[in-house]
Amino acid sequence: MARHRILIANRGEIAIRIMQACQDLGHEFVAVYTAEDAGSGHLDTARAMGGDRALARISSYSDAGDILSLADEVKATAIHPGYGFFAENYRFARRVAERDRPMTFIGPSWWVIRDLGDKINTKRLARRLGVPTVPGSDRAIYDEMEAEAIAESLFEFQTDQEVKRPTVLVKASAGGGGMGIDEVDDMARFRQTFRRIRNYSARLFNDEGVLIEQRVFNFNHLEVQVVSDRAGLGPVHFGTRNCSVQSLGKQKRIEVAPGFFPQGISYSFDAAKVLGDIVDHSLSMAREINYDNVGTWEWIVGPKGEPFLMEVNTRIQVENGVSAAIARLRGENAVNLVREQIRLGLGEPMGYGQQDIGFKGASIEYRIIAEDTQNRFTPWAGRVEPVSWPKAPWLSLHTHMPAGRAYQIPTEYDPNLALAIIWGRDLAEAKARGLEFLDGLSLDGRDGQDVDIKTNIPFLREKTSTLLEF
Amino acid sequence: MDADKKKTDLLHRAQYAKDILGPKKNERLEALLSKIGACETNSPGQGRQEALKNLQVLEERLGHLEALLDKQLTPMDKVRIVRHPQRICLKDILENVYDNYTEIGGKDEHSIDPGMLIARAYVTRRVGKKTLNHPVMVVGQEKGHGQEFRNGGSIKPWGNSKALKYMKVAARENIPIHAYVSTPGSYPLEDFPGAAQQIAENIYEMAGLEVPIIAIFSEGGSGGAEAVALADKRLMFSHGYYSVISPEGAAAIEGKVRGGMRAPAELIERCAQFQRITAEDNLGAGFVDAVVQEPPLGARPEHFDFYKRLRTEVIRATDEVILGVGGMRILRKRAMRRRKKDPDESEHIIVRWNLNTKAKQRLLAKRRRKFRRMAQGSFEDRRSLAEKIGAAHLGILVPAFSAVRYGLVKNVKKTFTRAAEEVTGEIHVVAGRIERLRRKAMERLRLPRNNGRRKGLELTALSAPVMPSHGNGQGYLSPQAAPDREITCPRAEKRGCMDVWARDLFGEFAGVCPYCGHHFFMEYQWYLANVFDHDSVREFNQNIASGNPTGFPDFEKRILAARKKTGLQSACMTFNASLMGIKLTCAMLIADFRGGSVGAAEGEKFIRALEMAGKRHQPFLAYSHGTAGIRIQEGVHGLIQMPRATMAVRRYIEAGGLYIVLYDTNSYAGPVASFLGCSPYQYAVRSSRLGFAGPGVIRETTGVDIPPDYHKSYKALSRGHIQGVWDRRDIRKNLHQSFLTIGGRNLYYR
Repeated sequence: MARHRILIANRGEIAIRIMQACQDLGHEFVAVYTAEDAGSGHLDTARAMGGDRALARISSYSDAGDILSLADEVKATAIHPGYGFFAENYRFARRVAERDRPMTFIGPSWWVIRDLGDKINTKRLARRLGVPTVPGSDRAIYDEMEAEAIAESLFEFQTDQEVKRPTVLVKASAGGGGMGIDEVDDMARFRQTFRRIRNYSARLFNDEGVLIEQRVFNFNHLEVQVVSDRAGLGPVHFGTRNCSVQSLGKQKRIEVAPGFFPQGISYSFDAAKVLGDIVDHSLSMAREINYDNVGTWEWIVGPKGEPFLMEVNTRIQVENGVSAAIARLRGENAVNLVREQIRLGLGEPMGYGQQDIGFKGASIEYRIIAEDTQNRFTPWAGRVEPVSWPKAPWLSLHTHMPAGRAYQIPTEYDPNLALAIIWGRDLAEAKARGLEFLDGLSLDGRDGQDVDIKTNIPFLREKTSTLLEF
Repeated sequence: MDADKKKTDLLHRAQYAKDILGPKKNERLEALLSKIGACETNSPGQGRQEALKNLQVLEERLGHLEALLDKQLTPMDKVRIVRHPQRICLKDILENVYDNYTEIGGKDEHSIDPGMLIARAYVTRRVGKKTLNHPVMVVGQEKGHGQEFRNGGSIKPWGNSKALKYMKVAARENIPIHAYVSTPGSYPLEDFPGAAQQIAENIYEMAGLEVPIIAIFSEGGSGGAEAVALADKRLMFSHGYYSVISPEGAAAIEGKVRGGMRAPAELIERCAQFQRITAEDNLGAGFVDAVVQEPPLGARPEHFDFYKRLRTEVIRATDEVILGVGGMRILRKRAMRRRKKDPDESEHIIVRWNLNTKAKQRLLAKRRRKFRRMAQGSFEDRRSLAEKIGAAHLGILVPAFSAVRYGLVKNVKKTFTRAAEEVTGEIHVVAGRIERLRRKAMERLRLPRNNGRRKGLELTALSAPVMPSHGNGQGYLSPQAAPDREITCPRAEKRGCMDVWARDLFGEFAGVCPYCGHHFFMEYQWYLANVFDHDSVREFNQNIASGNPTGFPDFEKRILAARKKTGLQSACMTFNASLMGIKLTCAMLIADFRGGSVGAAEGEKFIRALEMAGKRHQPFLAYSHGTAGIRIQEGVHGLIQMPRATMAVRRYIEAGGLYIVLYDTNSYAGPVASFLGCSPYQYAVRSSRLGFAGPGVIRETTGVDIPPDYHKSYKALSRGHIQGVWDRRDIRKNLHQSFLTIGGRNLYYR
């Protein structure tokens, strides 16, 4: 197999994991950093593995022109976007593949990213294939009468389903990230809300389109890890995971694999069947669109066990490790999905089928972040003293904090500190080990105003005890 | 007569002749000048008689020389004549041609625009014992004899607005309008309204003024002249000029002269010659109806016999217009023809200068035909015989079809739909009652409403696909998208835009900066592919080609080059297309072909497209992908398209059509100041510029440096010139919305 030089266009722990994977696979790499990020541990790793040649400074992690001209300079043959800015940007992927000096974009083909990057398009695709989606409109609604008709049937539908508080979501179709979204629980106020969102959308996104959907309460957020190759030998899955513990801003904090524990926990619905359904639906969709890399199908499962497809993430995700920890390829040790992604992205065949994949035990991932969980999860930025991380055979830890020296959290980026993945033979053991890990952890640091470090460790501890109960 | 005075007079006359010749030297004139100067008038040795006699001889010689020089005048000399401070001005004419007058709309410098003079004047005719008093409205540019505040007859927008106001007054009072045109061009000012807007309005309104309009050209410069010159009879002074642009301006464009430099004199002479600006040229081409002969070297205030001739001509012109549309007229028409040979007699025919309603309609129709016939030989008709026959057939079949389709079938259909609506309305009431009863019964019986499952299926089913709001862009990829490079937005420093890859910018983003919305130039083909329905564009009249009607040197070559470069025959592309199912007619001015300038072919195609739209009852889109103005090389052949096309627009709008104008990139001058600017519905694409004169021309003519955003679409919007600024990607959506919501009563697709 040809030796590649891969430009790693991201920072943090994923950069380190990609470097390690490159080394394992025998590829060269070039890591990048910005001026603000010069104290990050991924620089140390890059130097240790590839010397100064494997490191280059750029002006910004999100400047495509800068990154591509650097790639030309260092004669990179492939670009790994990590899970950052470029990972779901099909224009970047297309540009990498179609420029005068083309390179390999490590990720799905750009048209796959484009088709699945648009939520409305994904929803329509799902409906075409009979994959369940949240009841409501599957295209932008411009007409007020049409909108009202949809909202009315949604209320009627929820009443018939005996939903406790029937609620309808009204959101700007061009929006995202929580902008231009509101809910209505009374048909009488619908028109007013619809108009407000429409005007907001017209002003902000220059588009009057509005989506109308049922608001699902008390749901579980589940994900299916799908892996496929360019040869098209059929997608496989690496199990499900449950990402229901989230911050106020809907950012995941704890992930658990597998998604449900029909043996350990009693559910009001057939949990095993739900897991099977969502896996089947995800794979059928991946097959239909010729998905050709690592990706995640995100689902919500309502209180009565009704699954709805939310969106598809066409990239490796932060929480890939938690699925990898319980997956066993041909009975061997845990798989490394980052390595799989690079291998498949460079065009290698998968070399295994679903029958080769088994699952063992339960796994929990904690995202250790410097933030004030009491105060709307406000990020904390300051100087963190060197940490002596606990060591255990059931624990794998990923951090970009440098070993042996203090780490100054840059204000420009997220204050993520580490990912801890804990494995146990069953959920109870994993929980116990998780608590043990959290108890053994102590972080020390101060910011410019001499305020002590704030981390989400207490929040993680509290959530672990009530994990997956609902 | 006092010899001193005579000497001074002669000196003035000779000096004037010298002025007219400009840089050219005439030895005989110089010799004569020095002889007159040397002539002793009060030397004691000579008698007064002798001095006078000497002067008499010199005067005769000067007269001969003047007549000789007059025959050798070049067009540029004539330009110098009309610009000379001694040139007769409107005040002189009012004093000497009319029997009585009252200046209205301001006095001297106390006027909203001292360059525009309005007067109610009287022409008194005595026929036998009968005295006829004809009131007329005189409008015209007043240059004065070198008065600063007159601004050289260069009219600001409010001056043209004033002229229009009093022309409308004349129409209300049913009196003829005499318009004296003496302007080097309109003052290029963007205001409320701007120069272009006001001229467009003037032309549009004059096309419908129901009184005879006589225009008399002394200096007819460009749009400023057209603002008052749309007339039933157009007379011209023999030493005047009528042109699309001043020879200096033409030379500056021809010679590509930039900032502060002057074009070489011989190029100016050549431009003056080949733009065909003189009275004879204009008479020959049919742009004026008659020439008023001036004394040698042009009329000056002291030429009293010229006033008399002018009076006769003006009266006869007005008579002819009136008799041309009046009722009882045969005898007088014959008399008129007879009296033509004896001009002094034309005063002695009784013609009342007011019109009845029917005559007014005939007057308008005649005016329209007059302009429609102009410049018919100024373009190349390269259509094959089959095409011509086809077009002629369409000209008959389409109106017939429209009459059946919209006059007959539509009404029948309407009747049926109305009846059907009534019936369903009745049924609805009954059905509603039954449904309410059913529901009540269900509630009573406490039966579960089991439509939840059906609703759920409905709510999670795939809905019907919607029509894309803008085209899919298939079939056209901009050549700008080819190179692998990054484009920096010109507003990057101000707005912090990131660089964009050319293939993304000119492919997917349609040439719009994704960060600030700045619009980059996009080829017209993009619009054909993305604005209209797929494969619906059907071009017509594509073989009406731009020519070289003035015989401008080397211009054929340049036209051929433009044809080769663009594959087009003219800068105007006319086609039928559909937009979300609505059929429309579109005329597109294309910047690639000689800057989108409008000549005879473009104007003719535009007019034919309007007529086509009228016959087919379709809305009309005038899309200016960029126009630099009237094509200067075609001279008045191009300029005349302003009133011609505007009259066609007026006719189309009055027939109930919807006329939408959309500006893109740069649109300036003539077209904006006439057939585009007269639309009530004008829109501009973002980042476009529109206005009367470009920054270079403004600096050249006024010496003022304008701010860089002077002509920006948003400025035009705040000035009220346009009604909206559209994103390029929304054109399709917005046009559709416009077609559905605005326009006249006659839009049958609704």
